[in-house]
Amino acid sequence: MEKLLDMARKVCDQAEIYYCDPTSSEVMFQKGELHDIESQFQSGMALRIIKDGKLGFSYTKNLIDREEFLQNALESLKGGVQAPYDFPHTSELPNLKTYNEHINDVTSSSMVENCQRIADVFLKNTDAEIEIVAYKEVLNLRIINSQGTDLHSKIGSTGYWLCLVYPGGGAGISRVYEEKIPFSISRNILDNLVNMYNDSSKVVTIPGGKMQVLFMPGSMYTLLWRLHSGASAKSIYEDISPIKNDIGKQIVSEAITFYDDPLDTESTSARCFDDEGVPTKKMDIIEKGVLKNFFYDLNYAKKLGAQSTGNGYRASMWGGDTITMKPVPRLAHPRIAPGQKSFEELIAMMDKGIILDGVMGAHSGNIPNGDYSVGVSPGLYVEKGDIVGRVKDIMVAGNVYDTLKKVIAIENKLHTCWGGRMPAILFDSISVSSK
Amino acid sequence: MLPKLKQILHKADADYADIRYEIKKETFITLDGKELSNIGSTITDGYVIRVLKNGGFTSVSFTKQGDAEKALKTAQENAILIGNTIEKPFKLAETPIIKDTFIPSLKEDPRNISIEEKLELLRHYNNIPLSHDKIAMTNMRYFEMSREKYFLSSEGAEIHEDLITTGIGGSIISKDGNLTQNVRVGAGGSDGFYTVRDLDDKFGQRTQIAIDLLKAKPVKAGAYNCILNQGLAGVFAHEAFGHFSEADIVESLPAMREKMQIGNKLGNDVLSIIDNATMPNQLGFYKYDDEGVAVREVKLLTNGVLTGRLHSRRTAHEFGEPISGHCVAEDYRYAPIIRMGTIYIEPREKTLEQLMTELGDGLYILDPKGGQTSGENFTFGAQYGYVVKNGKKDRMIRDINISGNLYQTLQDITAVGNDLKLSKTGGCGKGQTNIRSCHGAPHILVKNVVLGGI
Repeated sequence: MEKLLDMARKVCDQAEIYYCDPTSSEVMFQKGELHDIESQFQSGMALRIIKDGKLGFSYTKNLIDREEFLQNALESLKGGVQAPYDFPHTSELPNLKTYNEHINDVTSSSMVENCQRIADVFLKNTDAEIEIVAYKEVLNLRIINSQGTDLHSKIGSTGYWLCLVYPGGGAGISRVYEEKIPFSISRNILDNLVNMYNDSSKVVTIPGGKMQVLFMPGSMYTLLWRLHSGASAKSIYEDISPIKNDIGKQIVSEAITFYDDPLDTESTSARCFDDEGVPTKKMDIIEKGVLKNFFYDLNYAKKLGAQSTGNGYRASMWGGDTITMKPVPRLAHPRIAPGQKSFEELIAMMDKGIILDGVMGAHSGNIPNGDYSVGVSPGLYVEKGDIVGRVKDIMVAGNVYDTLKKVIAIENKLHTCWGGRMPAILFDSISVSSK
Repeated sequence: MLPKLKQILHKADADYADIRYEIKKETFITLDGKELSNIGSTITDGYVIRVLKNGGFTSVSFTKQGDAEKALKTAQENAILIGNTIEKPFKLAETPIIKDTFIPSLKEDPRNISIEEKLELLRHYNNIPLSHDKIAMTNMRYFEMSREKYFLSSEGAEIHEDLITTGIGGSIISKDGNLTQNVRVGAGGSDGFYTVRDLDDKFGQRTQIAIDLLKAKPVKAGAYNCILNQGLAGVFAHEAFGHFSEADIVESLPAMREKMQIGNKLGNDVLSIIDNATMPNQLGFYKYDDEGVAVREVKLLTNGVLTGRLHSRRTAHEFGEPISGHCVAEDYRYAPIIRMGTIYIEPREKTLEQLMTELGDGLYILDPKGGQTSGENFTFGAQYGYVVKNGKKDRMIRDINISGNLYQTLQDITAVGNDLKLSKTGGCGKGQTNIRSCHGAPHILVKNVVLGGI
């Protein structure tokens, strides 16, 4: 990598190399039985160069020929993509504990054993169609640039995805659990899932209308994507954010504090630098309902006359191969601050309403405007504080900035879920449609 | 390339093994508004090994040739672990052993066209929406991807096939005060650069829709009788029905598998659904899947009766049904999974006018905006629509998201039009992305559809 950087430095004004080498394996159980094990040994490298204010870019899986690799990046300079920014000089970062060598104790066999134990509990106590995935990933990340930055991070994580599928329906109660070291899921957690599944096994029909909706952490990405779009420097620059002029204003309920917490080592993906080598920091986007900050990468920060907030990540809405993507503004560690109520208390507070345990179609609808309209997958129906069954063919809809004004209560705990760490949140008067 | 792969495969100690090596070349250009934000070409490559041993079937993907032995060893160990754990060993259905090289013939090979010309064309289309003052933003992309695939199996298959996909598209965002609306535009295909030429009218029409949507009214939540246009009905065929024609999905859901038995009457008599990736000049075209099986036409639903299913070699054996050649990977990072090729609703006799008359009062909803399935339930968005009164198109509506139940909807499709259209761009995300996922339909009439409103 150093040799490549030296070569690049000679022909360009600035250069940056991003290296990443994920090794992963995944054990899959279907119908409560072991079905498949897949492994990946991937590595790759991406090069960004700046010359005369223009950006060049290339990436490769195998650094066989440095000359050719550099040449590809030089070729792409001709496109004339503007690069008004400088790569940062970053040093002296905190040492985050993102890798524990005990992760090596996670093997295919240990994952199979743990999945089998979970499957046995579910098979014995439910009639669900059981899907379980256990996984492990270790990766090295390194960023070096011509400004003297040389950053390295090793990240190891292991986890489970569990789903209790209602027979015939396909929808199910699903959860994600993730740690940096080997772990198994407590019997208590499994029993709670079993109870939730059994309580909701009966299909009930309800009339549509406005009602209480409890968004589970696994459904929160529906709201998160819309907030993300609204607060991204890219949307501000493109003038499509409905909250562009609202810094300092109360935009949602004061119960809501929405923040990015890259340094949170509770999570398995803590980072002290972003994918451009800029130091990260904890930052409120919304504090007690008031819009505080937008988030920036180097490029959009420069365009908008601001500083990068350490939110330049090689990512897209759907994930993907990081080396193939260029950094864009992204909240990689979003959180909503926990509230006061336990999960049981939240359900007890519900008179009539739906627990939105999972959603379908969060990606359709007018995301920049904040609108959402999602199918329940599944939706559990609650009456007078008890789960009485589940609903089908139901849609839950609203606008994120309106929904977040209707907070009744927030769970006192954060859960790892797709996109971040979130509590469950109970909202009032959300539109629910049915046949 | 093949001798190198043979050497690796030769070291496999297994009942069956295969290896796929791919070189993936991409050219991409992105415009955000008038600004060029991305342009370039890249080459990446990698390998996938699959091993059947001791009744277990596993895969490993890797990018460094030096990792080949480690990959083989891992795959073999995992296969043994599976074999020792499960009761019923995995087996593969028989397939003819194919040795072939298939390079598709292209009308204008995109690889022979300069990146400058591609950029100029993209800018030209992009300027069509941007010349209107109500258009706040566009995100437009040109892409071309070639997958040069080499497949070798321990049974003796040796296949080289190239897939070259070209596309142009993106979103057009209109704005009035704080209200934004967006519509999608896209074109492309599997058989050459010509598929992205002559799109001025299309970009003009989509721009007008984005502008009109600013004045459209949000649809009220509730259940409606609806006509779905071709794009939307195609998404229904893909999302709601198609995924449950994929044997690997049905296999994991025993209750669903029970309902999806071949011979079961699932839908209205007017409804027939086919997957046919052998149709030439379509986005979904290919010759061999990623386990060396020649793809064939599968009649999935015939006059409402389930008549076929999409298979990998493993699931074909498991179900005791014929192989179909539908086991396809996104690229060298993945083992193949079962995918639709070109799925469509077979056209009947009715014109759109006749369908409108039959509808009387209801909604006419058009063009997909993302969809998702979860078991028998599905959700997808429509980009825009119209209220229909007495068989006539009335005012425009927006914020349309529909949700339904597969089995109920198959019954509720009461009329099928005569104007089949297949999609020109795709992007199915079943774990991996399939940019050649092609779907289509004629206009269809569906009773009692649930709309979410906002």
